[in-house]
Amino acid sequence: MLIDIVDLSNTLTEAFTAVFQRAQRSLVVVHNGRDGAGAGVIWQPGGIVVTNHHVVARGKPRISLVGDREYPTRLIAKDPQIDLAILQADTAGEYDSDLPAAPIADSRDLRVGQVALAIGHPWGQIGAVAARIISSLGEVAVRGRRSSVSVIRTDVGLAPGNSGGPLMNVSGGVIGINTMIIGGDLGVAIPSHVVNAFVAETLGQEVPQVAM
Amino acid sequence: MTQSNGNNILTALSDSMAAAVEKGGAATVLVAGRRRMPASGIAYAADLILTADHVIERDDDIPVMLPDGTELVARLAGRDPGSDLAVLRLGGAAVAVAEPAPQEARIGQLVLALGRPSPDGIQASLGVISAVGGPVRTGRGGLLERYLRTDAVPYPGFSGGPLVDTAGRIIGLNTSGLARGASLAIPASLAWQVAETLALHGSVRRGYLGVRSQQVAIPPAQQKALGRDQETGLLLVGVEDGSPAEAGGLIVGDILTAIADHPVKDPDELLGRLSGEVVDRPTPVEVLRGGQPRTLTVTIGERK
Repeated sequence: MLIDIVDLSNTLTEAFTAVFQRAQRSLVVVHNGRDGAGAGVIWQPGGIVVTNHHVVARGKPRISLVGDREYPTRLIAKDPQIDLAILQADTAGEYDSDLPAAPIADSRDLRVGQVALAIGHPWGQIGAVAARIISSLGEVAVRGRRSSVSVIRTDVGLAPGNSGGPLMNVSGGVIGINTMIIGGDLGVAIPSHVVNAFVAETLGQEVPQVAM
Repeated sequence: MTQSNGNNILTALSDSMAAAVEKGGAATVLVAGRRRMPASGIAYAADLILTADHVIERDDDIPVMLPDGTELVARLAGRDPGSDLAVLRLGGAAVAVAEPAPQEARIGQLVLALGRPSPDGIQASLGVISAVGGPVRTGRGGLLERYLRTDAVPYPGFSGGPLVDTAGRIIGLNTSGLARGASLAIPASLAWQVAETLALHGSVRRGYLGVRSQQVAIPPAQQKALGRDQETGLLLVGVEDGSPAEAGGLIVGDILTAIADHPVKDPDELLGRLSGEVVDRPTPVEVLRGGQPRTLTVTIGERK
């Protein structure tokens, strides 16, 4: 019985490690040439990166892969109301395979209590991971054309540098983009279905959504 | 270990915690008993809600929202500020009744703190049991025999809600009202016990003796006279005029060693022995007087 428990916790540990290792590959560091760095997720092949608007609101953004080369980027869309921005990395076509898109999960059927994983660069610690659960699902009032926006709250402790990074389910599917602007000081993420709608609106195409 | 096997385990873990939240959440209600934001409560019986005393600021017309969105009005059935517990009686409709965990909490055990301070749905945070402590004086005239400490995030409005195990069974009741700044939970077994008394009598009676005391060592020879190994007792340094202690014949200089045949070694044990059933009852009080044990009968009063 004791052996089983040790096996179980080893298996859990290895499974968590595997998910985080895979997630690192689609995680970027967003530099804005000014103070600090934010995080971003490679959302689609071809160098489409989603991050928080406030991370790139000023300055000239560049992205780099964790521990890897930098790419100049263009800001192609922003929505300050939901604190999202879309960047196009200038890969010149040849680095597409170096920028693998993250698997995006459907955030419309989440349940409170499910494990939520965050990855980002809190206080400049590149690629730091955290795991807790989904604390609540709800709407917050925002100003502008939307009267409210869906949010995922988690008890993952987020810090500056987590902004723009992914919130993931246990399969590594991205369920949201972490932000620290909306909804107070607790961990809040904009659900991936809201991000998908924004990306589709910007790029003028439907984004395939895989259930994970 | 293959990736998919490992991930099955993660998925199972994630799903089972969501199921625990669902189960515990079905017995977690919104309680709007104060001016600022609502707090939470646990359905202790079909028409009884157990909550934290400090979130209840009135006796009647307390709005309660059930997990399915039904809005009801409750009235206060009983309260015990000493343990920060209150019981509300619902006018009508039945709620899913909470299931207490069969075992006492263990340090390191995974737990979920639940609350329903908003009509938007259940809220949860994950942690472990960090410590099991007690007895502790609550600063509100009470003594809590045991308490639980957890590192689960105590969101605003979680007071009165449950701390559940990974099967969704109630381990304790969350409260931020007992210790300044710290979030504690009252163990379910203790909370249920107090709730029963509150539902029946409306309050928890606490005994009053009328003595001031300090803990002193009992010399080996006197322990021998007592007939047991008891290294400390309570030296009486004051007996209030007209108190139950005076009426029962206790005098300054006595060393109190037992109440109702239970050894009393320190002030917390005295406080513990004076709670509940002893009020108004002639109760044997054992003292050492001049090194010799004597048993007096004291009718314990009620502390108001």
